Amino acid sequence: MIEKEIEQLIMEALNELNDEFPDDEKIIISSDTILFGKDTQIDSLSLVSLIVNIESKLCSILDRDLSLTDDRAMRRSESPFLNVQTLKNYILEIVG
Amino acid sequence: MKDMKNEQRYFDKVILITGASRGIGRAISIYLLKNGANVIGFSKGEPTISNKKYYHYSVDIRDIKKIKKAFFEISKKFKTIDIVINNAAVTTSQYAILTSAEKAYEMVCTNLLGTFFVSRESAKIMLKAKSGRIINISSIAARAEPIGASIYAATKTAITTIANVMAKELSNFNITCNTLGISAFQTDMLNQLPQEKRDEYIKSLAISRYANEDDIFNVIDFFASERSSYITAQTIFLGGIH
Repeated sequence: MIEKEIEQLIMEALNELNDEFPDDEKIIISSDTILFGKDTQIDSLSLVSLIVNIESKLCSILDRDLSLTDDRAMRRSESPFLNVQTLKNYILEIVG
Repeated sequence: MKDMKNEQRYFDKVILITGASRGIGRAISIYLLKNGANVIGFSKGEPTISNKKYYHYSVDIRDIKKIKKAFFEISKKFKTIDIVINNAAVTTSQYAILTSAEKAYEMVCTNLLGTFFVSRESAKIMLKAKSGRIINISSIAARAEPIGASIYAATKTAITTIANVMAKELSNFNITCNTLGISAFQTDMLNQLPQEKRDEYIKSLAISRYANEDDIFNVIDFFASERSSYITAQTIFLGGIH
């Protein structure tokens, strides 16, 4: 998978998440959107839902099982879920 | 003429049950199939149920890789999983000081971690549907804490805790998590216990008899019902143990 496809996939999942929110709570979506930490607009349960959705889309596209939340992700000093860029780079790394 | 499909409580629901090949798990699977469900059965061995709506996966739930592989296949076959029944368990009746490490690990990995992994992977699928029911099958041993059941009783208590915590985490997604504590029920597993121990169990109940299949189906129906969307983090023990 190329970088652009992965970013598109993340954007698609963010848009789907946004569909759940009322107009005044919608997330501003860009390649710089913060996903995790004190400056995010996304609550922890929505982040879980977002990651599960991205993971499921990846499994479907690649036709293989993979996990975004295994020990590789959790052991890092910097979370791969900080923002769209860090998540994209992490996915690129694990899908090879 | 009556529409038989409409009379089937679980018509076209997708229900995953672990430990589907024997004992209570097999009985529940057959009940669900009779009521129109698509049943996904997990067990270590070969299937013991033949039905066109029964889908068997030979999965040892101690093995997370095998669980994930099975869920990957399930997610391709089914849009969602409506209900999960975590039934698989192993036991051994032995004084704590005589319980081997191997048996202790087996009980913890099957009864506790297996239940957790299956719940976790199911919840990922249920999240997308924003709907689901997770039902853990516990035991009278969790309350009675009988001699010889130190690890088994601990694991059965722990799966209630898992259900209660997951109930909080998943409530926004309309996923409920509950526990059914089964009293003595005639199975191969129960028959591993000495007769005097089984008699002790029965005597300790407010209603001193063995559970029958319908006692179990009744509570499953209650937790699984669409009307039970406000019932979560609850444990129902059969037979009046307290």
